[in-house]
Amino acid sequence: MDGAVIETRGLSKRYARTTALDALDLQVPPGTVFGYLGPNGAGKSTTIRMLMGLIRPTAGTATVLGYEIVRERQAIHRVVGYLPGDFNAYRDLTGQQYLTYLSNLRGDVAPAEISLLAKRFELDLGRRIGTLSHGNRQKVGIIQACMHRPQVLILDEPTSGLDPLMQHEFLDLVREFRNAGRTVFLSSHVLTEVEAVADLVGIIRGGHLVMTADVADVKSRARRRVDLTFVDGVELPIVELTRVPSVRDLDVVDGTVQLVVEGSMAELLRVAAPFGVERVVSNEVDLEDVFLQYYEGEDR
Amino acid sequence: MFANVFTKTLRDQRRSLLGWSIGVALTVVIMAAIWPSFSGMDLTAFLAQYPEAMKEAFNISEMTTGAGYLNAELFSRMLPAIFIIFAVARGARLVAGEEEDGTLEMLATMPVARRRILFEKSAALAVGVGVLAVVLFISTWVSALVFGLDVPVLHVLNGALAMFFIGLEFGLVALALSAGTGRRGLATGLSAGLAGASYLLYLIGQLVDGLRPFRVLSPFYQAISEGPLGPTLPPIAWTMVAVGLGAVAVSVPAFERRDLAV
Repeated sequence: MDGAVIETRGLSKRYARTTALDALDLQVPPGTVFGYLGPNGAGKSTTIRMLMGLIRPTAGTATVLGYEIVRERQAIHRVVGYLPGDFNAYRDLTGQQYLTYLSNLRGDVAPAEISLLAKRFELDLGRRIGTLSHGNRQKVGIIQACMHRPQVLILDEPTSGLDPLMQHEFLDLVREFRNAGRTVFLSSHVLTEVEAVADLVGIIRGGHLVMTADVADVKSRARRRVDLTFVDGVELPIVELTRVPSVRDLDVVDGTVQLVVEGSMAELLRVAAPFGVERVVSNEVDLEDVFLQYYEGEDR
Repeated sequence: MFANVFTKTLRDQRRSLLGWSIGVALTVVIMAAIWPSFSGMDLTAFLAQYPEAMKEAFNISEMTTGAGYLNAELFSRMLPAIFIIFAVARGARLVAGEEEDGTLEMLATMPVARRRILFEKSAALAVGVGVLAVVLFISTWVSALVFGLDVPVLHVLNGALAMFFIGLEFGLVALALSAGTGRRGLATGLSAGLAGASYLLYLIGQLVDGLRPFRVLSPFYQAISEGPLGPTLPPIAWTMVAVGLGAVAVSVPAFERRDLAV
């Protein structure tokens, strides 16, 4: 397939008082996982809901697999698997009934695919959706998005409510989709999730696309604060640590070395280990911070 | 049951339809059961004290026959109200209710056109109101036989059809508003308000000569002017179906274009 699978040009959504999305230009190449990152209210869901034809852009346009989002909405619905940020299914139906209903509306779902996915995510399809936990309800949402093996997956905060094991399983599923040449557009405010699975990342804040980048590249430049506690009686290897190229802002508080590492921690750990490290606490840097650093870095 | 939007919508209303059917049947049976004692009374003196216009407005003068009694007691106010309330509540919920529950978002991203969703839901609403009308027909026909009200089956059919039409009209109007605006409260309130205004227009049209020509605009007039338990259902009754379908048709572009609520 040539060209971008998802392409937006000046895509905007303005309301009377606010601009939810301001002239978004975005390209998602085929066969990639695109992580759409940003804090709550940044415009992630607005973008996704426009791609799905649920709301109309006030300016600009976009295509998904070449289909225009307003005129060819129904074609997009056929080829895309969608999981809303706030997934709601009929509470009085069982998972099986609900998925059967959506399958019938789609018309191209293999029933075996549903049971396969349910088994994989350990979901009891016989239970009423209203009695399911938030995480299990989210699994129903994930299954309906994937059950017709769509060319494109558009997922809004897909892992919310999933326990870590299921998050892992889900991210595996996303990779499988990608490895099969399909495209995944996934919004999130969790950096680790995007780090784990995305090839490309787009950062959005206040309705503006701040940047898009290669995830590997961002990772190599992310800073995190690390606390190193050494075994009692050892003289702190301050000089050695300061010499590590990736270490910044070293400080000692109550016998614990606090420092900032940019990029990989490998070198730091190699140097520190021989001195008897008792405990390493790695603080995830706030998502926005990481990308702001990156952003500012680009500016300089 | 889950084959398409139509059957799913039918399934969703099965419980409320059962409840309303029992309510309608009970109402009819109870009113019919009172008839034998009612018809035994001498009403001439009682009726004489009513002004002529009132008697006509409320069909009071006809209460000496079984059909007249049912028309006055059930088919002029209570049953139209029951059918309208049932249909408006269902109609307003069908789109806007799903939108409030958040379930419309998935439905609207299935490869089914929005207008198709609206049409299938309209059809399901019509079937729901139709079932209630069938229950009304059967319960009226049977209790008229049992309690000796002496109403021909054709007249019962016309009465049930009139109730079906008036319910369908306001139900479809509510559904159209529901689809066009996404607001259930607005759809319910506006439809109920329209029904109230229609009734007033009909009533005042019976009483005030100057408004007489306009009462034909009222669905109540269209539905009950000839009984509705009577030998004919006037052709103008079909206006109700046309207006209901027209309202849905008008709401299609709005529903197709508008932003769905989160």
